[in-house]
Amino acid sequence: MPPVLIIAKREFRSYFDSPLAYIVICLSFFALGLLFFLLNGGFWQVDRATISRLFEYTPMGLSFLVVPVVTMRLIAEERRSGTLEMLITLPVKDSDVVLGKFIGALGLVLVLVLSTLAYPIIMFKWPWNLGPLDLGPVGSGYFGLVLFSAAAVSVGLLISALTESQAVAFFITFFVLGGLWLFGDLAQKAGGALAIVLNYVSFQSRLSNFWRGLIDSRDVVFFLSVTVVSLMVAFRALERRKWA
Amino acid sequence: MATDVMIQANGLTKRFGVVRALDKVNFEVKRGEVVGFLGPNGAGKSTTMRILTCFISPTNGSAKVNGHDVFDNPLEVRRSIGYLPQRAPLYTDMTVWEYLKFAAEIRGLDDGTFRKRLKKVVEVCGLAQSLGKDISTLSHGYRQRVGLGQALIHDPPILILDEPTSDLDPNEKAEVLRYIKEIGKDRTILLSTHNLAEVEEACARAIIVSKGRVVADGPLDQIRGKTGRLRYVVAIDEQHAEAGNKAPPAKQVQEALERIGGVKSVRELPTDESAHKFELSGSQDSDLRAEIFRLMVAKGWTLLELRRDAQSLDTVFRDLTRGDEKLDRGANWSAQDADEEEEEDAAAAEAGADDDEDEEDDDSDADDADDQEPKGKS
Repeated sequence: MPPVLIIAKREFRSYFDSPLAYIVICLSFFALGLLFFLLNGGFWQVDRATISRLFEYTPMGLSFLVVPVVTMRLIAEERRSGTLEMLITLPVKDSDVVLGKFIGALGLVLVLVLSTLAYPIIMFKWPWNLGPLDLGPVGSGYFGLVLFSAAAVSVGLLISALTESQAVAFFITFFVLGGLWLFGDLAQKAGGALAIVLNYVSFQSRLSNFWRGLIDSRDVVFFLSVTVVSLMVAFRALERRKWA
Repeated sequence: MATDVMIQANGLTKRFGVVRALDKVNFEVKRGEVVGFLGPNGAGKSTTMRILTCFISPTNGSAKVNGHDVFDNPLEVRRSIGYLPQRAPLYTDMTVWEYLKFAAEIRGLDDGTFRKRLKKVVEVCGLAQSLGKDISTLSHGYRQRVGLGQALIHDPPILILDEPTSDLDPNEKAEVLRYIKEIGKDRTILLSTHNLAEVEEACARAIIVSKGRVVADGPLDQIRGKTGRLRYVVAIDEQHAEAGNKAPPAKQVQEALERIGGVKSVRELPTDESAHKFELSGSQDSDLRAEIFRLMVAKGWTLLELRRDAQSLDTVFRDLTRGDEKLDRGANWSAQDADEEEEEDAAAAEAGADDDEDEEDDDSDADDADDQEPKGKS
């Protein structure tokens, strides 16, 4: 197995060795259930066979809580406890470390994201069939969610690579991802050029196309670019220790 | 470069901002040597080791490990070493077995090799009963063993151990030193510490660094003799003397000793009521013991003890690294850049060390530790 995957595996497993993964998954489901069925009149009020609400609330939860919690420790904690030295002096490249940790953390987030598939399956397939669900927007919605998760995790990883403190990493990630999300709401209030800029960088605006069933290559490229650039900067941040 | 030079540091310099952590450090470690890397805290030991393991890069200079350059070929360098960083930082959420397996997988060991090596590592490091335990539940001594185990799992030709005995209790310390001696029979080991007794126990050669410079490098005896003095201890019976002579008062003895040619200083040491004890220092190239004996016979005094020591390593160490303290207490930084003559001293020390040949690990003290047979009780 290449070192990247060994590191990813270790990272992924360590979430499940601690209570973190279980707490995050359970509470996320609880919160998603509340939002989905109760907020703003809930799912029933909409009175249509759609799960677009799910695509709206899931990335919000990811931005404000799950991704900051999952990524805060990735590199910050290793740096603080010194295990980073142990890890990097094994025959691995710095890029292996960054990529391995990214894959490990993204793995956990994707477990969470993909387990929300239970919603459409249970409600529209078996045991209940609440109506004819349009599969197109569901597919594109999940596609968008996966892209979004990759971008969000890479941003969190980058911030974790810049500090030694998990708490600092958490709050900065919280504000950055939260900000990138809320820019979408701001854009609706602001007008003109500002709205264009805000819509351009907002994760929310970018995602809303996906949950309407629209896969725009510009949005795909946007999320992929954010991911790649964040990982590259994280790699540089890790390498900086050599010269500092 | 000779093929048996396993570690070669060439003018390593490292700056952290204005602080010069390392300043043109040169040394070589040959195959099969166990070398103690000594220095006060903050002298640059860990920095050197981090450069050798490619964790950080030198500002200037180069280093080769097992023939691979740390700049050009970091992965090859890391493959040939086992490294134990200071305080053995481990993933505390893993069990000992999982951790060793993780290190082995990253190092590309297949299952069969891992099992074989694991058996050996468990035996050498005394981990048999802790394999299934979470690392978070282990004492510091056991974590140190796990760290040592992960450094040994791929049977590396070179081991770099950063303060492997710090924070251990005396029993654990002795154990770890015993492992090191045992492992060191067929490997190159660079071992950093600020505990001199450990170096005397485990190493045949020492490199002393101070303020980022190598101030001494050579076999322990050579380093001990560095100040060119020998120390003698003489004890004389205070109550009785030979052949009807009267027992002498301390002052008389001291004066008599001072008159011996070649004695540089005489100092009375504290004793109980029964003896006068003196410490003499004489030059390296003469032996005063015969003179002292003749004096005793001539005066009819009863000689209870007479021994000659090389200067203790402790004293040499303090002599060589004294400047660090001053620096810590506020001497200015620029002084560091100015004192060129000190640099020359360091260079001279290195030149003097060049003649030391490939040393075998000194097994004589290994033996007495070995018969305790501590493997079973871990």
